[in-house]
Amino acid sequence: MDVLLQAIVNGILLGGFYALMGMGQNIIFGVMKIVNFCHGEMLMVGMYLTYMLYTYAGIDPYLALPLVALIMFFLGAVIQHTLITPSLKTKSFTNLLFLTVGLGLLLSNGALVLFGSDYKSIRTSYSQTTIPIGPVSVALPRLISFCVLIVVTIALFTFLKYSTVGKQIRAVSQNPVGAEVCGINVKRIYLLTYGLGIALAGIAGCLLTQFYSIFPTAGAGFGFRALIVVVVGGLGSIPGAFFAGILLGLLEQMSALFISPSYSDMIVFITFIVILVVRQLIIMRRK
Amino acid sequence: MKKFLKGLLPLALAATMFAGCAGGSQGTAEGGETTGTETSGETIKIGTIYAMSGDKAAIGENILRGIDFAVEEINKQGGINGRMLEVVRGDHAGDAATGRSEAERLITQEHVDVMMGCHMSTVTEVVAQVCQQYGVPMITAISTLDKLSDEEHAAYDYFFRLCPLNSIYVEDMLKYLKDSSQQTGEEIKTVAIFTDKAAIGQELIRCVNLFADQYGLEVVGEVDYSGGAADLSAQVLALKQLNPDAILCDSYVNDAVLFVNTLKEQNYKPKMIVAKANGFTDPSFITQLGSAANGVASVVEFNSDLTNGAEINKEFKEVYGVDMNGHSAESYTVVWLFKAAIEKAGSTDGEAVKKALAELVIDGAFDGGRNIILPYSKIDFVDEYDLAGSKHYRDNTSASVAIAQIQDGAWKTVWPFEFSSSQIAFPAPLE
Repeated sequence: MDVLLQAIVNGILLGGFYALMGMGQNIIFGVMKIVNFCHGEMLMVGMYLTYMLYTYAGIDPYLALPLVALIMFFLGAVIQHTLITPSLKTKSFTNLLFLTVGLGLLLSNGALVLFGSDYKSIRTSYSQTTIPIGPVSVALPRLISFCVLIVVTIALFTFLKYSTVGKQIRAVSQNPVGAEVCGINVKRIYLLTYGLGIALAGIAGCLLTQFYSIFPTAGAGFGFRALIVVVVGGLGSIPGAFFAGILLGLLEQMSALFISPSYSDMIVFITFIVILVVRQLIIMRRK
Repeated sequence: MKKFLKGLLPLALAATMFAGCAGGSQGTAEGGETTGTETSGETIKIGTIYAMSGDKAAIGENILRGIDFAVEEINKQGGINGRMLEVVRGDHAGDAATGRSEAERLITQEHVDVMMGCHMSTVTEVVAQVCQQYGVPMITAISTLDKLSDEEHAAYDYFFRLCPLNSIYVEDMLKYLKDSSQQTGEEIKTVAIFTDKAAIGQELIRCVNLFADQYGLEVVGEVDYSGGAADLSAQVLALKQLNPDAILCDSYVNDAVLFVNTLKEQNYKPKMIVAKANGFTDPSFITQLGSAANGVASVVEFNSDLTNGAEINKEFKEVYGVDMNGHSAESYTVVWLFKAAIEKAGSTDGEAVKKALAELVIDGAFDGGRNIILPYSKIDFVDEYDLAGSKHYRDNTSASVAIAQIQDGAWKTVWPFEFSSSQIAFPAPLE
């Protein structure tokens, strides 16, 4: 029973992190209809950024969070402006696919050259703190990352629903041509959206430094899970991403507990494929 | 560039073959002269084939430091029978084909008398073939793959192995678990294996199951994960449920760090963790984990606080600025072995040195040298023996590894007891 409780808590906390990763991917996908294949690498860039701020400027990782988000936002905006916008004009999906995949390779190899292949980490006085709640133990950094997720989810949801820019973003996601006709600057919205998505990856990276090693390919495993969150949660849906992430985390933990840890990855991907097929069938039936 | 190199390779091979024929005849001519007058000035050439470029270059550097250190010592004493030692370096760059051509170059053009190498077992195997073909005695200091000395390689009588075999590494981990009760007062009865799904993990599982019965240990479970895991909490929970007396593991460094961090997060403190080196002995393991790493134990071939290694380590550090590691200690020892064998044979003739190596027994100390600096006190290449049901040839069966434990942020040797000055910290504090 204790083990089950612990596994559920682990699943929710882990899933929360996946949700945060998926959130950024989801916004980009929902508005621009492109899959950002370098999302995992952006996470890694966020990690190194936090690492540099900590080692060279002595800024605590959690205090660095807004700064990392801001820098990543501008990085995203620059990439959007210089690389993705020209590619969007071609309306070629493969073009964008190769662009983001290539960008990911460039980023991880760039990190390899700049920082070397050795593993780094940020150890703070609280990074190994755990809080016992009854029979369950909760790691403080994971709890904080979950709290950040909740704040981010609510903030994003209200931003998209009520603010003018949020409404513009939604308008563009529903019909870019119509939005342009109504006088919305679609290019600027794309810039904002991609920046926002990358900033979210940066936030996730910043939080991740407290419970994971920093190395050039650190983002790979997480990037893939972000994709699953997007697909399962529904395109462009913020609450969808939130619940899909947690579902994914729980699924991993439960399948490990009841079947075997050896198969948990396999079960996750089988579920992913089943969901894809079922959804396709439903869409075809509706038509 | 690659294409160009590919084109060049057959050419290079042909060239070395030509040189081989020429070198062969020259070799016999020299051999004839050896009995003559002018030999005393000639150096004895030790060929080495290690990676000096590519991503394994750092490993090669440590090995060559050990060799240079030994050669310096021996030459300072006046060499072997008045002849100085010279090291002729080959670079296999981590590649077996390069290893073969380098071996041929060293033998046919540089006329090395004996050969040392390599650190990757696949390269060692092809170099051993070349040495066998030309009749050059070879000792590997660090290639641990079991199959290098198995039935298939029975005929390679010019090839000797100093280091323990892979399965001996694991056997020694189990021996340590058994012996630990002498210090801790608590017997280890059950073990769980925690490891990567990849080949390193399968090898650990195979070896543990090979010896577990012999040491009265029950394997209660095997928990694995895919390398580069994003999360290991499910695995740690599974281990917690199994509740073994000890956990045996083999992981790359990022997984090893995540594992120990997750143990802490899940509030699980296994009493004993013994790793098969790898990521756990990576320098960044301790720097990343800090005090949480205290209590983790691992197999080591050498450690700076070994009772018989502390002295040489001090001198070595003065020269190179770094501690001796397992690789440098083992390759250091091989140079001294060649010295002993050549002295015994009375010449550098391949056949005679081979015979001397086969008969050589070093008990405690080298003639004119130090005590054996590794965690065992005898070196003896046994012509043929039985290891867990299969025959092996010309391994140093007295070889063993040591177990070191992280205590106050540094590796301290805790086993074998006769070589250690620290006590086992039990249960592992992990803080």
